[in-house]
Amino acid sequence: MDTEPADSGTPAPRRRYDPPLPAPPAFLRRGPFRDGAFSSPLHEPRTVVVVGRWLGAALLVCFLTGLTSHLLQDPPGWLAPHLPARPVNGYRVTQGLHVISGLAAIPLVGAKLWAVYPRLFEWPPARSVLHALERLGIAVLVAAVLLELFTGLLNTLQWYPWPFPFRQTHFWLGWLATGGLLVHLAVKAPLIAAVWWRRAAPALAQRRAFLAATTAAAGVVTLVTAGQSVPWLRSLDLLAPRRPDIGPQGLPVNRTAAHAGTVTVPADWRLRVDGPQPFELTLAELGELPQHSAELPISCVEGWSAAARWTGVRMADLVRRAGAPPGSAVRVTSLEADGPYRVMEMPAPYVDDPLSLLALRVDGEVLAADHGFPARVIAPNRPGVLQTKWVTRIEVIA
Amino acid sequence: MTAALRALLLAAGLAVIGYGLSGLLADPYITDPLDVAVWGIGGLVLHDGLWVPLVCLLGAFAVRGPVLRGWLVVAAAVTAVGLPAVLRADDDHGNPSVLPLPYLRNWLLVLAATAGVALLVALVGRWRRRGRAVRRPAPRADRS
Repeated sequence: MDTEPADSGTPAPRRRYDPPLPAPPAFLRRGPFRDGAFSSPLHEPRTVVVVGRWLGAALLVCFLTGLTSHLLQDPPGWLAPHLPARPVNGYRVTQGLHVISGLAAIPLVGAKLWAVYPRLFEWPPARSVLHALERLGIAVLVAAVLLELFTGLLNTLQWYPWPFPFRQTHFWLGWLATGGLLVHLAVKAPLIAAVWWRRAAPALAQRRAFLAATTAAAGVVTLVTAGQSVPWLRSLDLLAPRRPDIGPQGLPVNRTAAHAGTVTVPADWRLRVDGPQPFELTLAELGELPQHSAELPISCVEGWSAAARWTGVRMADLVRRAGAPPGSAVRVTSLEADGPYRVMEMPAPYVDDPLSLLALRVDGEVLAADHGFPARVIAPNRPGVLQTKWVTRIEVIA
Repeated sequence: MTAALRALLLAAGLAVIGYGLSGLLADPYITDPLDVAVWGIGGLVLHDGLWVPLVCLLGAFAVRGPVLRGWLVVAAAVTAVGLPAVLRADDDHGNPSVLPLPYLRNWLLVLAATAGVALLVALVGRWRRRGRAVRRPAPRADRS
């Protein structure tokens, strides 16, 4: 790189293309800006790098699982025909991980930011133009990560106190935070490498205690919330916004029939299937078609998931009956009057999967209104909002 | 080699930031991106200007001993994650399967249980030190 020989007096080698900035007058260096204003020995690189590795891993898991969720829920046209309907629990695992790692990141980001807090008051505040830009980048990174974790946490409670839409903002902030993280890693790479290994830094009893406390904090937070998606942790589910066995018919609900205006279904309800040979069926006629059962999870974007045994007609059977060949995608319309997921498109791999059902029953009972009576879609490896309830129409679209 | 990797990482990071920023500004549903900036900066100011100074002051003047510090770290994390549910426990928008648990009771239960574990850790540490019985231990260098 284009550097001058390192001068032992300055903290970083000065680059020719990096104009220096003048230091502010020394009398302004007060309060937290003073040398030694922070007394804890833990504001040191090794502690920061150890916590930073955990936090970085959690944030990258969040980003990748979030991207997966976005692509499954709202795929670009070229990708939709190639979305995989398997593994059955794929979305359950990735979105469960998304929320688990996001919640674990809350104590980790707290520990990380506390450890580097004195750097906020480094003197001079900006040595050079590049240094000022780097600090600005850190501000963007921290603001994006904090807002991302905050909006994500509150979204799991369906609490939206902010004026912007959650899904789009959370998505774009994720890119901003991840880009900021990559830049941060690139800038700090030499420092990270220098203290990556344990032998590179003196042992500190306080560091051990601090790292143990941070691990314990992330561990406790995970233990008391992960039960909303991890079945064997369910009995410890104390603070998660959902319990997978609480709700009508023992299953949680995201949008109730009362919200959707579908508490009572019109007496003349028919399922209409549009294709080369369109047809209509009453509920009784649907029940006379070959019924199949599948153990499938509802996996919500908010992290919770619950498996149940669904029984109904295979999507593929309905589409074949309408005269459409394998490889056809469909559009499914709900009875609900409005709502962003009233109309759902199902790419061919899901339609053709033998586990994808238009379900009439759950765990042996007729669907409750909240679970989509008279008929709902249930397919493997799909976000819950696309498991359309109160289905009234299926159209073959390609 | 490492310099090239670093440059690549930097370029990738800047590209990802650019993609996120342009998406945020161009998204048809985000009618006022300034709102997002206000909430982002607001969070930064609250965290760095209020929360961390409070933690630093508590740590420097009020809280002694690694076990108490450790428990406070755990309690802060449990509160950050659990408090929104405690505050919203009665507000499920007519959907009883959202926030169905007694969150205030559960939050206090987790605080009490972790405090119990911390107490146990402190007692075991004291007992082990007494077993060694060399000299009075310096509390801040304690490993318990």
